Amino acid sequence: MNNAILQINELKTYFFTRLGVVKAVDGVSFDLRKGECLCLLGESGCGKTATALSILRLVDSPPGRIMGGAVMYHGEDLLQSTGARLRQIRGNRIAMIFQDPQSSLNPVFTVGDQIMEPIRLHLKLGQRPARERALSLMAQVGIPQAKERMKYYPHQFSGGMKQRAMIAAALSCDPEILIADEPTTALDTTIKAQILDIFRDLKQQKDMSILFITHDLGTVAGIADRIIVMYGGRIAEAGSVLDIFDRPKHPYTWGLLNCLPTISERREKMTPIPGVIPSLIDPPQGCIFYPRCQWHMPVCQEKRPEEFVISGEHIVACYLHK
Amino acid sequence: MKRGGLQNYIIRRLIYAFLIAFGVVTITFILLRIGPSSPADKYLANISARTQNPARVIEAVEARYGLDKPVIQQYFDYLVNLARGDWGWSFSTSLPVIELIRRHWIYSFQLILLSMLFASSLGILIGIYSAVKQYTRTDYIATFFSFIGISIPNFWLGIMLILVFSVQLGWFKTYYDTGLPMFSLANLKALILPVITLGTGMMAGYTRYARSSTLDNLRKDFVKTARAKGLPERVVIGKHVFRNAILPIITIIMFDLAGVVFGGAYLTEIIFGIPGLGRVSFNAIFANDYPVVITITLIGAMVVLLTNLTTDIVYTWLDPRIRYD
Amino acid sequence: MAIRRISDIFGGRRHLLFSGLLLVLLFVFLLDLLVIDHIFGPFVYFYLFFTLLIIFYGIYPLYVNRRLTRYYWERTKRHRLAVIGLSFIIFLVAVAILGPFLTQDPTEVDFPNKNLPPVGFSAEQAIYDRNTGNFITTETPGTWHHPLGTDDKGRDMLAMLVSGTRISLQVGLMATLIAIFIGLIMGVVSAYLGGWADNALMRFTDIMMTFPFFLLLVFIVFIFGPSLWFIILAIGLTGWTGTARLVRSEALSLRTRDFIMASKSLGASDRRIVFRHLIPNVLSSVIVIATLSIPGVILAEAALSFIGLGDPTVTSWGLVLHAGQRSLDTAWWIAVEPGIMLFLTVLAFNFLGDGIRDAFDPRSQV
Repeated sequence: MNNAILQINELKTYFFTRLGVVKAVDGVSFDLRKGECLCLLGESGCGKTATALSILRLVDSPPGRIMGGAVMYHGEDLLQSTGARLRQIRGNRIAMIFQDPQSSLNPVFTVGDQIMEPIRLHLKLGQRPARERALSLMAQVGIPQAKERMKYYPHQFSGGMKQRAMIAAALSCDPEILIADEPTTALDTTIKAQILDIFRDLKQQKDMSILFITHDLGTVAGIADRIIVMYGGRIAEAGSVLDIFDRPKHPYTWGLLNCLPTISERREKMTPIPGVIPSLIDPPQGCIFYPRCQWHMPVCQEKRPEEFVISGEHIVACYLHK
Repeated sequence: MKRGGLQNYIIRRLIYAFLIAFGVVTITFILLRIGPSSPADKYLANISARTQNPARVIEAVEARYGLDKPVIQQYFDYLVNLARGDWGWSFSTSLPVIELIRRHWIYSFQLILLSMLFASSLGILIGIYSAVKQYTRTDYIATFFSFIGISIPNFWLGIMLILVFSVQLGWFKTYYDTGLPMFSLANLKALILPVITLGTGMMAGYTRYARSSTLDNLRKDFVKTARAKGLPERVVIGKHVFRNAILPIITIIMFDLAGVVFGGAYLTEIIFGIPGLGRVSFNAIFANDYPVVITITLIGAMVVLLTNLTTDIVYTWLDPRIRYD
Repeated sequence: MAIRRISDIFGGRRHLLFSGLLLVLLFVFLLDLLVIDHIFGPFVYFYLFFTLLIIFYGIYPLYVNRRLTRYYWERTKRHRLAVIGLSFIIFLVAVAILGPFLTQDPTEVDFPNKNLPPVGFSAEQAIYDRNTGNFITTETPGTWHHPLGTDDKGRDMLAMLVSGTRISLQVGLMATLIAIFIGLIMGVVSAYLGGWADNALMRFTDIMMTFPFFLLLVFIVFIFGPSLWFIILAIGLTGWTGTARLVRSEALSLRTRDFIMASKSLGASDRRIVFRHLIPNVLSSVIVIATLSIPGVILAEAALSFIGLGDPTVTSWGLVLHAGQRSLDTAWWIAVEPGIMLFLTVLAFNFLGDGIRDAFDPRSQV
């Protein structure tokens, strides 16, 4: 159980805005194990992106600030490391790719340059060997005619190709961990599938650990080993992919799975979860899902539920399963 | 832009510039013609004291300048003359206008060039720094000073600088000494106050552009990607942000020429006695020497036109998004 | 009932009333011009026209849309600098209106009292003493009779500054209105008509923008003569290009927006779309541009007066500065005081304009 290479402990990240303090990540703890694909699942605004950004301390520091917790990587707390040490790790041991490849690539530099950048920085290779390596990476992620395309600018690539280029850049130094923030959300369905294939290959061939952030249940089903369901800046439920899909325990997860239209069942109406996503400014002291939960009990309003163990690695933050 | 597309663009742009030039010249002509006093009257006003026979003089002037011919004919003559380089005779200085310009343009040029270098280098640096350190005290101070800079009337600034540094402190002469060799330190010193006068207003504006352009780019996602790659902050800003921010900044600076720079240079030359084209034009106005005034106005417009053209082409060439499409 | 019919033609009672009053004004104007001599000076018509314009198309809409007005006002108020700017401008307006009644005549020369420093300062003056045949330097202190001192012809500085305030505000307001008006029409028409009309208008705008603003202004003043009327007109006629460009691009982006399409599909006529939909939406940008143009206009007039191309019959700040330049070593206050006024005025409008711009920008969190 303990081949965890990344341990997040009680991470708290708040954003200080004019309207109040947004507690985007409010006490989140989990492990990432070697060779596994862990999905952070949740709707927009639940804090999953903020969590991922906090790992590498990429949160925009005027409004946001990491208030507490630890991110243990090989015995080192990344939240306490020096800037220099952090920069050694970024792009090198832990790499991250983002949602919209169009805006994530710098429009005034060639794609080749941008892939070679981390290679030259971390691996300290010269121009020629760096280019060789970049070419092989581009081939690995499935960019055809790599030699010519290296000199292209991002806007000359299609969406799927751009994302592949981003992945190539992220993989360039053979990182141990890849954090992917909604990498397929902005892409067409067919391209989505192709990109997911790349991720699957990475996991298998390189034993890479992937932290995959998404709101799409279909994607999760296709790629996850374990799933963490987030809501309101906190973890609602976590477990293996079977745990979550076959025997979900949290009312929110029930709601999520119920929302899905399925071919096999006939239904009169879609059943969305009643209510709205809560504001993360001044969250209640009890369970944050309380107002939308059909099964709420008085205790739910008083105190925030801890994470109760259902079995093995399946945990739930809900008093129903105490 | 397809291959050869850049060439086509340049050609089209040149044609367009030519049309604009044509329009500029035409408008100038129209303005002259609808003015209340004819050029002959102005000329006459100048020499009427010295002649006994005004009627004959008017005739001669009209013949010389073709003012007795129909308007269309005058228009064509005007165009042809401009193209040929016959820009008229300046009777207040007894020189062909083109010679007058040849002798004086360099003073305007050095003033404007130095001011722009001063304003843009400082302005851009402060602007970028201000953006990177947004919301800190440095940012507020820089923003405040740039407000002041664009609000100070530049002709007043010139006078105040003269008052403090020339009159009270005596560090500089109050009037520009044209006897100084151009590339000498003494000349540079003499240009300090004028350059500060002209450059301060410009710099304040440039600081604002640089700051806003940098801020726009700091918010972009590729900055996050750059940081996620482990690049040091100075590379993130200095390479990634800078290359994206600088092009719009320079473009705005260049296109702003028509508004700020020439007007300011005109006034600065007058205040400090720098014998550039602005001052020459100014003297010509009070001498009613209209060929000079027309020509210098046209030159101003043409310089703006050329600058816009060049900036446009260079921008198209440099921005990969436009060039490689 | 008949009134209702007529007003429908005009598009509303407000427009009817405005047109009616405008006709009356025009009638009086023509009367003045052709029949009786000089009932009012030319400026009065200008004033009245613009007052009518502002009341009917500025104040009335603001009054009717109180909630909207208050929203923007709240947002503007949060900008401390903008509020400071606005207060100063109000102060200036008060000075301009009341000042002439409280101060001396700015054109009254008073040679014996020339070159008096402001109160609290004293200046050395070299006075030729006929008896000894030498210059005697005496220290002349300022007096409360001339609190800001006098110029080299003995005119009271305070009075001249007050006069200058009036002039600058008049010029600022009217020239800006002209420029904005032209720019607005050009921009909206161009964007709405599209095609070759748009092309032609934009080429024309390009041509006008190629002339350096100040050079063109000087050129026009050179040709037409330096009367205040013409200067205001000239500034207005040369300064509209920026507005036109901005309005056009905003209108273009609005044109393809859904609510315009919806309007069209409901059968709205072109003119209706332009007036009821396009213009109001563009208006917020126009207000910002207008406020930010005023300082440029004021400075342009001041610069013209400063170099001697202004209206010599009018005491404006630029004119005082012009006089001040000659006396830098003997009477520094002549140059310093009008400059300070100019600076503060421009600063105030810049503060206000910036605040308004932030207030109108939906993206900025004020």
